[in-house]
Amino acid sequence: MRAIPTLKISISGVRGVVGQSLTPKLLTRFAQAFGTHTGSGTIVIGRDPRTSGEMVKHAVVAGVLSTGSRVVDIGMCPVPTVQLQVRHRRAQGGIAITASHNPPEWNALKFIGSSGLFLDAGQARELLDIYHQGEYTRVGGQELRTVEQVEGATDLHIKSILDVLGPLPKTSKKLRVVLDSCNGAGSFVGPKLIEALGAEVIPLNVTPDGSFPRAAEPVAENLGELCKTVKEQRADVGFAQDMDADRLAIVSEQGDAIGEDYTLVLAMLYVLGREPGPVVANLSTTSAVVDIAKKFDCPVFLTKIGEVNVTDGMRQHAAVIGGEGNGGVIYPRINFARDSLVGMALVLHLLAESQKTVTGLLESVPRYSMVKEKMPCPSDRISTVLKIVRQEFAKFQMDTRDGVKVIQPDGWFLVRGSNTEPIIRIVAEAPNDEQAFEKVKTVIDRISGLSTR
Amino acid sequence: MKPLKIGITGVRGIVGETFTPELAVEFAEAFGTYLDRGRILVCRDTRPSSPMIRSAVLAGLLAAGCDVVDLGVCPTPSMQLAIKSLKADGGIAITAGHNPWQWNALKFVRSDGLYLNPTQGEELLDIFHQGEFAKASWDTIRQVVETADPIEEHIKVLNESFSTDAIRSRKFTVAVDCCNGACSFLSPKWLATLGCEVLAVNDDPNAPFPHAPEPKPETMAQLCAVVKAGHAAIGFAHDADGERLGIVTDRGEALSEEMTLAIAADVRLGRKIGAVVTNVSTSAAVDVIAERHGGSVVRTPVGQAYISEGLIEHNGVLGGEGSGGITVPEVHLTHDSAAAIGLILEHLAQSGERISELVQRLPRLTTLKHNVAVEPHRLYSVLQEFRGVVEEEGMEVDSTDGIKVTLPRGWVHVRASNTESMIRIIVEAAENAAARELLDWARDRIRK
Repeated sequence: MRAIPTLKISISGVRGVVGQSLTPKLLTRFAQAFGTHTGSGTIVIGRDPRTSGEMVKHAVVAGVLSTGSRVVDIGMCPVPTVQLQVRHRRAQGGIAITASHNPPEWNALKFIGSSGLFLDAGQARELLDIYHQGEYTRVGGQELRTVEQVEGATDLHIKSILDVLGPLPKTSKKLRVVLDSCNGAGSFVGPKLIEALGAEVIPLNVTPDGSFPRAAEPVAENLGELCKTVKEQRADVGFAQDMDADRLAIVSEQGDAIGEDYTLVLAMLYVLGREPGPVVANLSTTSAVVDIAKKFDCPVFLTKIGEVNVTDGMRQHAAVIGGEGNGGVIYPRINFARDSLVGMALVLHLLAESQKTVTGLLESVPRYSMVKEKMPCPSDRISTVLKIVRQEFAKFQMDTRDGVKVIQPDGWFLVRGSNTEPIIRIVAEAPNDEQAFEKVKTVIDRISGLSTR
Repeated sequence: MKPLKIGITGVRGIVGETFTPELAVEFAEAFGTYLDRGRILVCRDTRPSSPMIRSAVLAGLLAAGCDVVDLGVCPTPSMQLAIKSLKADGGIAITAGHNPWQWNALKFVRSDGLYLNPTQGEELLDIFHQGEFAKASWDTIRQVVETADPIEEHIKVLNESFSTDAIRSRKFTVAVDCCNGACSFLSPKWLATLGCEVLAVNDDPNAPFPHAPEPKPETMAQLCAVVKAGHAAIGFAHDADGERLGIVTDRGEALSEEMTLAIAADVRLGRKIGAVVTNVSTSAAVDVIAERHGGSVVRTPVGQAYISEGLIEHNGVLGGEGSGGITVPEVHLTHDSAAAIGLILEHLAQSGERISELVQRLPRLTTLKHNVAVEPHRLYSVLQEFRGVVEEEGMEVDSTDGIKVTLPRGWVHVRASNTESMIRIIVEAAENAAARELLDWARDRIRK
């Protein structure tokens, strides 16, 4: 078996391991390619607290400046804060320096267009072409611009949320919230937002020093400490962010992680109750999203996986809310991006307005079990794996826009290659854990051996 | 012709053309690798490209695992002094010194505050060319520190090196042109603490260079006017990064940059007899001055690293070059225009002499400098061919650096620039006409 690569250059950006393949030269060249692509203007740069963040930032700043663009450095902040800042300043684009849920040795560049959305597939291909062609815009002398250090980008973010949603209703009792920011980019702004909304915050892991107190993905098995703290503190809710604070997971007042796929469901309950309209999610999202939308008589559209596909779908269908099953909530009235801060505000408003507990709210929501599995797979094997899945399950209804989604009477499963790591992801949903595990097992039985051969 | 020079003095080029961020990143990585990580200081001058090059350098050093201290905008000699006080292992100065504003360069400094010597420069180049650099992993990579104030430390060392009481007691009026360069932060402040009334011009580090950052009579017209209008005792002109110094007398006369070393040598040897270390291309006035005082002159190849090494080897009392770069060993063993200011002001204070009177005593030779642009690949062939022609005529050549020929009425020095794709011709004679003849003689023998 070949070694697992330490670098991934794709339409999702460039991602690699620091100290190995993610060199400053590569980064500065990518930044030059981006500056060349956007044309000279203003580029907003923000980063998460990874230890390599500063090195990466300087490499990126040098590359962007060399193309004649001005840099607005908003420092350490959530990815959605960068996106919001791009729109707010009418900048030409933005670069978010974060490898989101990847382990600490990774870092990455995510490229944002002038709309505040990530580059779509076409734009990303253009960027890659420029990068590979290696001919970048170069300016000298008085055409060179400087770096503006901007404090308070996260304050603008909080203000944008309050402007749309307002503080929590005064009549409700003060909600107590445990926030686990994973020492990530949400460490400062998360607690500040919760207080600004009028809730009490009990912070956990809010020291953004590049250490990872837990695995960064806000999935149930990583949230033990949060669950325990919510229970001990008798809090109303627990929130978990990932490193770049775009995704949000929720822990109930009983200390149960409700599953990150239910974050969007709760956010929908609040939004659709006030402003019914189309919902867009990706095809890996829980069926509960479809059920809830139906309950409010709202149409649902499922897109390919990837934030940019969801936001594209949302624009196309004029969605009032959208998101992904990984805890990414997109509420376009505030920010056209997966935004854990927006997610927290929506859920807190739901709790305050309904006067119900998280558990109480979930009683009215169909509960499914979702199981996610991954297995290493060299990229040249992925299509073979997908072909086998299509053949083996040919008798079922299928959606092949992104990997293979097989829709069965008692649920569904999805098999696809990751855009960011050399692995195959398998997601299955069924009414209970046993059935969901059974689906995953069936798939793995059919494809194991193929992926590593 | 694409202007880029990668050599033992570092890397230098025009930003927007040849000097790219990748190049700066890789040179920084190579330097971090060469020093085996450690603490590295970074400073820059005020060129519009310096922030871009700075980011590239910081990225390269961090990636190599260095502990990086960013001193911001400051004179290169301030950084060189800070290397000692901050116990650093090396430094990178982002400045193209006297080159026009479109240029930039990286200059590499070692743990004793001196530039890499030629052998070390070669070693760094080898690492750069091999392209295999040290790489810090996520758990060893560091963050940039931006706290130190190198200017305060520099002023402290300067104050300890000169008789500041004597200077203070005279309350000199001093004009200074900082060329909107790094000395904008140093000279006006220091001169004020010396009790001088400071007439500073072009001391806005955020403004572009008002003229070429090369202190010579062509660029000192404004300073002359300020000296005259303000009845200043002397006027000083800086380059962009605080190495070269130009002088305007109390009569408002802009002196040739060759005179800076002559003045410094006369002042210095009047107090302390010893060796003056200079390069083969510098005016013979220094030989006359040394002879008068009973001192000696050591000639080295052109370049600061050679002057520093010569001073160490010969225990010299003063170093300097015809470009206006002066080294006062009590301050440190590298060019420092502020140190030259201290030396001269101290003398004016203690002797009561005017600078115009001092200059009267010095031999006035005519030095002419001429540059011939040559395609980069022909640079050294042109030089060899010149040597061949001269030797065929039966003349003896000094090949310390380039080709120096001594003729009955003066001398001719022809060399390849370390920093630009040019052949530099310098001639000197007692009279202007003779100097012109020498220049024509040399130009006739150079075939591009």
